[in-house]
Amino acid sequence: MTTALTFQDLILRLQAFWAERGCLIVQPYNSEVGAGTFNPNTFLRAIGPEPWNVAYVEPSRRPSDGRYGENPNRLQQFHQFQVILKPSPLEIQELYLDSLRALGTDPEKHDIRFIEDDWESPTLGAWGLGWQVWLDGLEISQFTYFQQVGGIDCKPVAGELTYGLERIAMYLQDKDDVYSLAWGTGVDGRSVSYGELAKRSEWEWSTYNFERADTDMHVRHFDEYEAQCGKLLGLQKEKAKGGALQFESDDAKTRLVLPAYDCVVKCSHAFNVLDARGAISVTERQRYIARVRHIARAVCESWYAQREALGFPLAGVLAPEGPHGSARSARTGGAGAGEPINVPKKKKEG
Amino acid sequence: MAQDVLIEIGTEELPAGFVNRALEALPKLVVDALDAARLTHGDAIALGTPRRLAILVKDVAERTPDVEEEVLGPPRSAAFEADGKPKKAAEGFARKFGLQISDVRMVKTDKGEYAAVTRREKGRAAIVVLAEIAAALPPRIPFQKSMRWGDGDLAFGRPIHWIVALFGDAIIEGSFAGIPFGRTSRGHRFLSKGAVEIPSASRYVDTLREAHVVVDEAERRTRMVAALHAASQRAGGELIDDDFLVVENASLVEEPFVVLGSFEERFLELPEEVIVAVMRGHQRYFAVRDPKTKKLLPSYLCVANTAIDPARIAKGNDRVLRARLSDARFFVEEDRKKTLASRVPRLDGIVFQAKLGSVGDKVRRMGALAEALGAPQGRDAAMLAKADLVSLIVGEFPELQGIMGRWYGAHEGLDAGVVDAIRDHYLPKGAGDAIPSSVLSAAVAIADRADTLVGCFGVGIVPTGSQDPFALRRATLGILRIALEGPLEIDFGHTLEQAHAGYVEQIKSVAPYAELGPKLDEFIRARLRVLLGELHGGDLVEACLAAWDGRSLRDLDRRVRALAAFKKDVAFESLAIAFKRAWNIAKDAPSGSVDEARLEPGAEKDLWDSFARIRTAMEDHTSRGDYPAALALVAAELRAPIDRYFTDVFVMVDDLAVRENRLRMLRTIASTLNRIAHFHLLGG
Repeated sequence: MTTALTFQDLILRLQAFWAERGCLIVQPYNSEVGAGTFNPNTFLRAIGPEPWNVAYVEPSRRPSDGRYGENPNRLQQFHQFQVILKPSPLEIQELYLDSLRALGTDPEKHDIRFIEDDWESPTLGAWGLGWQVWLDGLEISQFTYFQQVGGIDCKPVAGELTYGLERIAMYLQDKDDVYSLAWGTGVDGRSVSYGELAKRSEWEWSTYNFERADTDMHVRHFDEYEAQCGKLLGLQKEKAKGGALQFESDDAKTRLVLPAYDCVVKCSHAFNVLDARGAISVTERQRYIARVRHIARAVCESWYAQREALGFPLAGVLAPEGPHGSARSARTGGAGAGEPINVPKKKKEG
Repeated sequence: MAQDVLIEIGTEELPAGFVNRALEALPKLVVDALDAARLTHGDAIALGTPRRLAILVKDVAERTPDVEEEVLGPPRSAAFEADGKPKKAAEGFARKFGLQISDVRMVKTDKGEYAAVTRREKGRAAIVVLAEIAAALPPRIPFQKSMRWGDGDLAFGRPIHWIVALFGDAIIEGSFAGIPFGRTSRGHRFLSKGAVEIPSASRYVDTLREAHVVVDEAERRTRMVAALHAASQRAGGELIDDDFLVVENASLVEEPFVVLGSFEERFLELPEEVIVAVMRGHQRYFAVRDPKTKKLLPSYLCVANTAIDPARIAKGNDRVLRARLSDARFFVEEDRKKTLASRVPRLDGIVFQAKLGSVGDKVRRMGALAEALGAPQGRDAAMLAKADLVSLIVGEFPELQGIMGRWYGAHEGLDAGVVDAIRDHYLPKGAGDAIPSSVLSAAVAIADRADTLVGCFGVGIVPTGSQDPFALRRATLGILRIALEGPLEIDFGHTLEQAHAGYVEQIKSVAPYAELGPKLDEFIRARLRVLLGELHGGDLVEACLAAWDGRSLRDLDRRVRALAAFKKDVAFESLAIAFKRAWNIAKDAPSGSVDEARLEPGAEKDLWDSFARIRTAMEDHTSRGDYPAALALVAAELRAPIDRYFTDVFVMVDDLAVRENRLRMLRTIASTLNRIAHFHLLGG
């Protein structure tokens, strides 16, 4: 390692690395999400046969993790770098290790491990198997091979790589305090720290999430977005016998899937704020989670039906070839699953 | 010439549990396949690391043997006409084996003459048979969870990258799911460059060792443990053994290296359990302690997969541990700002079970029950017993429940007996674990489990087969062990009834005790059969359970022990046979008492007189629970008379009055004994 990468260099390097390897570089989702998995570029694109390779930064919010800017390792908003490779190429681990080399980290000189870490959201019917990646004992990334999303088998399987950017930056810059990280260089050529960008923000948002957020408003928003989501999909209140969801129209092209998905994200965030405010009892908690899962499932099914009705336009861009997850064909597209609530997945912040 | 066979499946990093389970299953899978193919072979050894599962079979034969065997067909009459002309059946029989009718001959058997042929089959080359076996192997390897990858449909523990299949030094030509068999393996992911060619099956282990892969799990463990001890000494301490960590770490590396790291001494102010939980749970580090004081040292051992630059690796791990310990210290400091008592109201917000109210409800019931069991501080201890569940540190490390409650309580200056009960009411945690040593801890421990048991039964949560989500079997065994071995004697039936009474006011949906009592009794007896049957034999426990009223466990234990001792008495066997016989004849005897006037002088009168002489004393001993004394009387006084009785007296005489009187007498004697144990349930 020569000079340590700044936080922004880290992002730029990763973007360049994955762009060179056939990923579309897209931008973060413009609503509050708890993880990059929630971005529809992962959550929805993991469903169905269309290949999809994509990479993006995702500022991720976990209201309960706020520490008013006082804890050197915990933030209510942190950054993930998310990569989706669908189908997952056979050399995905090597690609990942190459990306570490691109950051100036020589995997040979460190202790790098792939430690089992599965992801599951049972009632949503979403799960995957994979690892957390340890670098000298530090969890710097997560790897997931999506198996099911919304009860739908992922075929082909998308591989999800999630880099915890703050943690990696702290390791690269040899810092114990996230706020002392060098973010980049400012107008006068002076180094600007992570703290200068984020410390006040952490305090304000922590105060808001824990003390000031209007709980009645968030309860109302949850209810309203949930209702809106159902309307946009034409989701019927009653399930069919056997538990299948029922929609007013079988023509999935009449459903506004993406705005409906946005409602799921809004509900999820409202729930997280209410949770941080301590406004949700243990029993209510399960009910809220079940409600989000319900509409998330309706969105997933509608997304699949709609892509199918459109003839899976991205399929066949690169035909699958080898017998067991050919490498080259994976270069195209991606999507992924994610839990509807920000809480379940492991922390990825610094 | 016989040769060794190697099949290696190369994968992405398999979880530790997957590797262990697959390696356990592999030898049998392969041996069964070889045996079914009649390919003779030597030992089969499973080898593996996170990145490969392999099986090495010694001395596999070059070919399967040629087969020559006589096969019987239809009987002569069905095969040939009387004049010797073959019938259809004989022609079909020959055709079936690709033979001519002239090949069919007659053989004599016990059942007459039958058509027969000699079937000959050439042996097959091992390498052909092995290709089939290797191709059929991967889908049969068991994994806790399988996954698909890429655009294939194949499912395995993790994606497969290569398969090596060798017979001696020859490649077994074949493939699985499009992956061709070859001799190209890979070495260590970071310490070995490029492909590794395996020259022959027997060179597998050595070749990979050179490529920094120790494929034998046992060798990996041995090397790792030796390195751990050496590093502990370097740190001036001794290793704290941890079997879980040994197995886990050995399954996470291909070549084990040990890196010694350290943390600031200031963290030693934390309870040692917290430090160990942080290191073990989050990072899989081993802890080191001072060999003399047994106190934790500010060092840890990390098992690494590479160690080109140990200082760099230690530095990284130190940083991670520092952050983890800082977090833990933050939790402990925050927790200490509140007393345990002030946390209790929050237990009302934690669901114990959907139909059984909150944990707050539970501790209130537990308190009343613990007090009723004879622990004056039962309420205080029970109220605080679960308070640490809403602490930050237990939220992070659930395994510290009880331990942290005790620590916080002790720092608050709470009563020593009460804080011990907070920790010890979770005992015993498993089959071999210690049980609570004080009356208070034992009372809270029993109250906790009895409450769970009765409540779950009360709302229909009853264990079936492998389904026991609330671990009711373990809870019951816990009560039994505490009541048998601990400082507190309990009336089991009454305890459960009291536990039920605790629910009645709170929860309307709990079934009435009249309905639950018999179900619980049956469930507990089943557990006792397991617990005591292992020690004393099932029939003996059965005989005592039949006589036991379901109340005092120590009473049951005394019966079992007395009967076990009695079994060794010279008089036992004949008495047991006699009592069994008496009960079998007389169990349905008409009611009424024995009419002494009808007893015949001699054996019959003698038995009754002998019985009458000891009856009162026997009943007294039995009532007092002095079963050895009662059984000693029986052995001394009844053996000879009852033996003579069955030799001399014919019970089932035609005279109805005499017969019924005899049956009444036998029944009276047997019933008296039944109060100790039901002898007729003894085996043999």
